[in-house]
Amino acid sequence: MGGMTKIFDMDPVSKILYIASKKPDNEEPSISTSFEEKSVWMQLASLGVVLIAYGAVAGSMLVAGVKHIVPYVPVFAVAVVLLIILMIVGNAIAAIAGRPEGLDERDRLIVWRAESNAGWVLSLGVFAALAGLIMSINNVWIAHVLLLSMFLSEMAKLVFHIIYYRQGM
Amino acid sequence: MAKLPKASIQNRIRALRFEHGEMTQQALADQIGVTRQTVNAIEGNKYSPSLEVAFRIAKVFDRPLEEVFQYAAGEGG
Repeated sequence: MGGMTKIFDMDPVSKILYIASKKPDNEEPSISTSFEEKSVWMQLASLGVVLIAYGAVAGSMLVAGVKHIVPYVPVFAVAVVLLIILMIVGNAIAAIAGRPEGLDERDRLIVWRAESNAGWVLSLGVFAALAGLIMSINNVWIAHVLLLSMFLSEMAKLVFHIIYYRQGM
Repeated sequence: MAKLPKASIQNRIRALRFEHGEMTQQALADQIGVTRQTVNAIEGNKYSPSLEVAFRIAKVFDRPLEEVFQYAAGEGG
């Protein structure tokens, strides 16, 4: 019953995240989501949107047989600008939904652990790119393997953030 | 290095807040210099605070550290 009254006091973003993470046990739920966690969700959504959009355009160019790196540069530049805009808008929404409280020791530990774990994804991408160089694969593919590993590493970091915020450490 | 059994740190913060005039998590968080979410995570045993924060919590409730936090060793510990 207490949980029902608490949910009505939540801001809309917290309400969605609370319902999505609702557990059936008797554990007392976190009353509202912090600005940091909301910001992480927004960054993850922004990266997902940009990755899908860039993947659709670059993928169609690869299928069409564009084998030079230069035509991909403007597409990448647009993707970066789109990412910056989405991140600014996302953080503004997160700030409206929940007042930033600053980072404390738990936030800093979460950031450190998430970055440490996600580093493996980037390392795998770099090794895959090196393997591609040894096998003399086209530079366009190597560049995209590196780009994909950067995107996925960043997304993995954000997913670890959310896991640590939700499940604890 | 010998592998230690899994252990956890339990605490009585919720009970102590209740005893101290139903102090809110936010009020405690403000006094110890962390966010309310961190107090919530500590209470729920989802996060073990640093020694400094643990001592600050004990000081707020004017109790010795071991009355606020208990070390619960796992099986064989």
